[in-house]
Amino acid sequence: MDRKTFKTGETVDFIVVGSGSSGGIMARELARAGNSVVVMEQGPRMEAHEFEHDELKYRQLSGITNNPATNPQTFRRDADQKAERTAGRNPLTYARVVGGSSTHFNANFWRLHEIDFIEGSRFGSIEGASLVDWPITYAELEPYYTKVEWEVGVSGLAGASPFDPWRSKPYPMPPLPVKSSGVLFERGARKLGLHPFPAPMAINSVTYRDRPACAQCGLCGGFACEVMAKSSSVWTVIPEAEATGRCEVRPESYVFRIGMNKAGRATGVYYYDGDRKEQFQNARAVVVCANGAETPKLLLNSATNGFEQGLANSSGAVGRYLMFNKGGGAQARFEHPLNEYKGANVTRIMHDFYDSDPKRGFYGGGGFDARSGGPLTWGQSVPNGTPTWGPEFKEYLESYTYWMNCSGHGTSLAQATNRVDIDPELKDDWGVPAIRVTYRDHPDDVKHAKWQVERAVEIMDAAGAKQIVPGEIGEASGGVHLLGTCRMGNDPDTSVIDKYHRAHDVKNLFLCDGSSMVTSGRGQPTQTIEALAFRAADHIAKFARAGEI
Amino acid sequence: MAQPIPSRRQFLTAVGNLASAGWIALNWPQIASAAEHADHAAHDTVAPPRHLTTLTTAEAAEIDAIANQIVPGGVTPGARDARVTYFIDNALGSFFAAQLPSFRKGLAEFQSAYAARQGGAGKAFSAAPEAEQTAWLKEVDKTPFFTAVRRLTVLGLIALPKYGGNHENLGWKLIGVEDNHYWEPPFGYYDRDYGGFEPYPGTKPYTA
Repeated sequence: MDRKTFKTGETVDFIVVGSGSSGGIMARELARAGNSVVVMEQGPRMEAHEFEHDELKYRQLSGITNNPATNPQTFRRDADQKAERTAGRNPLTYARVVGGSSTHFNANFWRLHEIDFIEGSRFGSIEGASLVDWPITYAELEPYYTKVEWEVGVSGLAGASPFDPWRSKPYPMPPLPVKSSGVLFERGARKLGLHPFPAPMAINSVTYRDRPACAQCGLCGGFACEVMAKSSSVWTVIPEAEATGRCEVRPESYVFRIGMNKAGRATGVYYYDGDRKEQFQNARAVVVCANGAETPKLLLNSATNGFEQGLANSSGAVGRYLMFNKGGGAQARFEHPLNEYKGANVTRIMHDFYDSDPKRGFYGGGGFDARSGGPLTWGQSVPNGTPTWGPEFKEYLESYTYWMNCSGHGTSLAQATNRVDIDPELKDDWGVPAIRVTYRDHPDDVKHAKWQVERAVEIMDAAGAKQIVPGEIGEASGGVHLLGTCRMGNDPDTSVIDKYHRAHDVKNLFLCDGSSMVTSGRGQPTQTIEALAFRAADHIAKFARAGEI
Repeated sequence: MAQPIPSRRQFLTAVGNLASAGWIALNWPQIASAAEHADHAAHDTVAPPRHLTTLTTAEAAEIDAIANQIVPGGVTPGARDARVTYFIDNALGSFFAAQLPSFRKGLAEFQSAYAARQGGAGKAFSAAPEAEQTAWLKEVDKTPFFTAVRRLTVLGLIALPKYGGNHENLGWKLIGVEDNHYWEPPFGYYDRDYGGFEPYPGTKPYTA
């Protein structure tokens, strides 16, 4: 197929910055609505056969993720400290490739529940936190959750969990086959009177929408799917956007500033092309879907006359309220091999403890899953008491196939002090001012994560584990769920975008990704990000048709 | 007549070809089975390094001795059998090159401290009897240098063979991992006899 291209001098209807979970959907929906669209992606475009089963490259090095050597960030706990570059990975990690982080996600697709949208009014104020209601409800988002499941592709079993929110349609595909970790997790949880159920996953369990079923290769999280069974944007909505003949995906195009005119309207984006040459693409409107790290970075780096504190930042909320999804779990060893390196990573989850319960003495809720990890990462650490080298360490390595994880995924409270801003000194390899992260867990987040560890230990014990290694809960110093940094809200004084994802301060600028989220949800934000993208695209297309952009 | 075994690329092209989805659904078990038996190393077209390019022979001998104490050989393969030292040499000359100066400094300190313990006799750690090596490593196993060698040893044992270690998949064999591109259930012991998901009272699971 000849792919449509646009000249930079042409004024396209929309530029979408980012080609990940939200950017791909935004591009498809806007293009299908008749608009010309250019998608700007920092990273390269890779074909399925170019990805490998290479845990070193994708989990230890920066195979497709933002590389700390070329895209460095700094970190500090509190605003009175000088932020420093951290060893190893960047604090905020995301995929830099066409498809964005949807390319390497684990594919856990949990809907938010009704409670997630109204916790501010349900629980009131929590010291040090900004727990507020969303400007939309579950009911408003439900049709779009369904759209994600059917248009992007999610497998699962509707109605299996007594705690599921209501839904208008079942999943289009049955759940993936259970693996041993799922069986053991289900066994343990049921013994305790809990209600584990088949995991909803954005992975094909059968041939669906011209993509094959999962090959059960075992390498999902951190890896791109080589058979295109994982419902990543690069295999799903992006080809469909291009098929309209009105959308160009422009890889290796690193947007570093949004152009503005004197009337306070966005005029397009400045970006570095693959040769690191500065370019400018004209557009009638800009939609930033660059993730919870890059979206605020782009706005803050786009400060200009009239927007001295950063674009669309009259509220001062751009970059603030960063949330990661704190959680805790346990690793467990069983008598017989589970072979967790085979099969999609997660097959059973549980939502009994989803809601925050004041009786626990702290705010927080979450879900649990049974999951696996690759051997290279697993072998880096040992349980307390196990030697780190020698014959006993070797015996530990030989036990790899006998282990599983029971992982809790939970809430992180929004705090104004946790933020992404711009480091005053550090620049990346392109000369673009780099991200500075300031982050300290809320005490309730830590208490909840520790509480989750205790529950995970109970479940694994009930499952008959021979050895249980409780997770250690430390202070978060980064994450991959990058949420809340351009929160939506009705009040322009306290939020960055309105309920239609339009920036309060710039009429033709829209933001839609993890940064839009007002609360963190319970650990698996991607389906919500995609549902928000479908919903936002509906409204943006209507605004465009009505000449209201 | 024997069916030709598809290459990894042919396999991926087949499953990824949108136009052939129906054909894939029909032939999936055969495709998968063929892929399972295909040469999975085919995508590692880069030959693994088989000689030193970064470390000196003397340095490599020391690293090899340490690595083989971290994961000793014997009945089952150890770090030396898996040629972990080639991985470490390759890593320090490429993707971990930034660590080479501190690694070399750590090795020099390791050697000089060991020599001092010998009364300055100058005997290399790698030439020492096994019991002596073990005893010395117990004294230094909290140092950043040892930690670095340990990390590299584990990586070299389990990373793809194209990086120099995990020779003939010995690292994977050690930990019980088979190198296949495709699996079918049952995956492990506990999902063999799973009886299916039992709905909870009051729920009505439903499918499309």
